[in-house]
Amino acid sequence: MSNHIVENLRKEIEDFSSQIKAEKVGHVLEVFDGIAKVSGLSDIKSSEMVTFPHGETGVALNLEEDTVGVIILDDFTKIQEGDEVKATGKILEIPISDNIIGRVVNALGVPIDGKGVIKSDKTYPIEKVAPGVVTRLSVSEPVATGIKVIDAIIPIGRGQRELIIGDRQTGKTAIAIDTILNQKGQNLICIYVSIGQKDSKLRKLQTRLEEGGAMAYTVIVSAGASLPAPLLYIAPYTGVAIAEYFMDQGKDVLIIYDDLSKHAVAYREISLLLRRPPGREAFPGDVFYLHSRLLERACRRNKEYGGGSITALPIIETQAGDVTAYIPTNVISITDGQIFLETDLFYKGIRPAVNVGLSVSRVGSSAQIKAMKKVAGTLKLDLAQYRELEAFAQFGSDLDDATKKQLERGKRAVEILKQPQYAPVKIENQVVTLYALTKGYMDDIPVEKIKEFEESLVGYAEQHAKKFYKEISETKIWTDAGEAELKKTIENFKSSFKPL
Amino acid sequence: MAIKKTVTNNDIARAIYLYTKDKTGTHLKESLQNVIKFLVRQRLLSKSKEILELLNKIINKEEGIVSAKVSSVEKLNSKTSEGLIHFLKKRYEAKDVVFEEKLDSGLLGGLRVEVNDEVMDLTMKNKIGQLQEYLKRI
Repeated sequence: MSNHIVENLRKEIEDFSSQIKAEKVGHVLEVFDGIAKVSGLSDIKSSEMVTFPHGETGVALNLEEDTVGVIILDDFTKIQEGDEVKATGKILEIPISDNIIGRVVNALGVPIDGKGVIKSDKTYPIEKVAPGVVTRLSVSEPVATGIKVIDAIIPIGRGQRELIIGDRQTGKTAIAIDTILNQKGQNLICIYVSIGQKDSKLRKLQTRLEEGGAMAYTVIVSAGASLPAPLLYIAPYTGVAIAEYFMDQGKDVLIIYDDLSKHAVAYREISLLLRRPPGREAFPGDVFYLHSRLLERACRRNKEYGGGSITALPIIETQAGDVTAYIPTNVISITDGQIFLETDLFYKGIRPAVNVGLSVSRVGSSAQIKAMKKVAGTLKLDLAQYRELEAFAQFGSDLDDATKKQLERGKRAVEILKQPQYAPVKIENQVVTLYALTKGYMDDIPVEKIKEFEESLVGYAEQHAKKFYKEISETKIWTDAGEAELKKTIENFKSSFKPL
Repeated sequence: MAIKKTVTNNDIARAIYLYTKDKTGTHLKESLQNVIKFLVRQRLLSKSKEILELLNKIINKEEGIVSAKVSSVEKLNSKTSEGLIHFLKKRYEAKDVVFEEKLDSGLLGGLRVEVNDEVMDLTMKNKIGQLQEYLKRI
C-alpha cells in the first residue's frame, strides 16, 4: 500500500513542471479595516485578483498614480506593512461545479458547512457584463411561489426581477423561503445569498430548507454579519456567478439577495475607507451601478443562446416604511416590480403582509397561467375598492346594498389571501379557491368560517373535479368544459357544506 | 477659471529631472540649490525621500539604465552575471544594467531577480512552494 502511494507521488512529481514567469509585485504601505494600500503593481487591472504572502486574496479596486487600493477577502490580521503582494493577472473568480448544489459556501465559493471540499474543474468570474439585448427573451413562464396573494395579484415570471421591500419583521425572508420550498419538482435551482445576516438566522433557515427537502436544489451563499465588508460586497456577485453557471447549461435559476440594503452599507464602508467622495446618505456616486449591474444579470435567454433564465428576488429593508430613501428608490427603479410589506398589516394579522395597492409586477402578468389570469383578473380591483370603502364603512351603517356587498366580498378576499408560513398552496388549488371567491360562492359564508370552507372545498374538488385538475396542471389552459365541471363541483360541495 | 490640479511627487521629480538634465559643473550646483530652495519653500522636504526615489527611477528610465536587485545563496560567478546582464539588457531594451546583490541562504538555491516591480523567482524555495501547491490540488 505504502509502495503504491510512493509510486503515485513519484509519478505526480515527475509530471510537475514549475512555471517560471515574471510576476508583477508590490509592497503593502498600510493596512486597515480590510483595506490595504499597495505600492508598485504597475500594470494591474481594475478588479484584478492579488495574493498576499500567507495566501490571502485581495481585489484591486482603486488604481491611483503610485498606489493601489486593495480590498482583502480573507483574515487581514496577519498582513503587515512591507509584505509582498503579487498580481495574478486574473479577474476575481470562483471555483464551480454541479456538486455545489445542496451546499453552503462563503463569498469565495469555499464550502463552510463542514461537508468537505467541493471538487470543481471550472472557474467563473464573479464580475461579468450582463447578457445583451439580442440574447434575451421576454418573460413568459411563471415562477410558482405557492403564496396566493403573489401568484394571483403580483405574479412573478422566470427571468424577472421582483423586489421584496418592507420594514424589519414584516416577513420578507419568509416570502423568499416559502418560494424556495415550493420549487420541489419545478425544475428551478434556487440560490439564497445571505448578506450581513446573523449566523443563527442562517442556520435556522438552512435547517428549515433541509427539513422541507429543499436543499436538494438549493445553494446557500453566506457572508455573515461578523465578516469584513469586502466579503459582504462580493457575496451577491458570487451568487449570480453560480446562477450563470447553471443558466449556461440551459437551466432556470432563482436567486434571492437577502438583503441589498446591507450590501449597499458594506459598499459604503469600503468606499469611505478607500477615500472615495461620499454623496447622498454618504453612499458613493456609483451605488446605483453597484445594484444595476448585479440585477441586470438576471434575464431569460432565448433558445439560440442556450436558453435558461435567472429570476432575481432582491430584498430591501426600509426604515419606518420610508420607501423614498436612496437605496429603496434605486432598487425599485431597477427591478420589474415590488412586493411591498407593511408592519400595520402584519400586526392586523394579515400575513403575508402584502400591501396590494403599492405592490406591482410589471412583466409578470404575461407569465401568469391562463386559468389564474381568468380567476384573479378582478381580484386586485375588488381589494382596492374594498380598502377605499373600508374607511367609509366606519362612519355608519347607512350603506346601499351594492356597497355592502362589495365590503363583504372584500372581507372574504382578505381572509382568503391570508396564509401561514411554510404552507405553500398548489396552483390548481389556488385557482379553485379564487374562482369560488370571485364568482360569489363564498358571499354567504360567515367570514370566520372562510378558512374552513376553503380547506374543505379544496379537498372535495381534488376528489371530484379530477379532469379539471388534470387540465390545469398539464395544459395550464382554461376551457369552458373545465369551468363547467368546476362550477358543478363547487355547487355540489356548497350544498353539502355544514360549518362546524 | 483654470482647474486646480494636484501636483504629485512624480510631477516634482520629473520637473527636477527636466530642469537639471543638461546642466553640469557650477550650473548644475546652482540649479540643485534652487531645487532645494523650492522644496523648502513648498514645505516638501519631508517628501524628499520619495521624490529622490522617483527621480532615480526617471533617470534610469530616460538613460536606459536597469537597476536589478539579485538575491542568491552564494555570490554570483562571472559567467552567471554576464548571462544575466545580457538577458536583462535584451528584456528591458536597456543600455546598462546595475546590480544590487544580496545573499540569502533561505532561498535554498537559484536566483531571484527584481527589476522595478517585476520579479523573476528562480529560487529552489519558490519551486518547492509551487510543487507543494500542485500536490495539494491533486
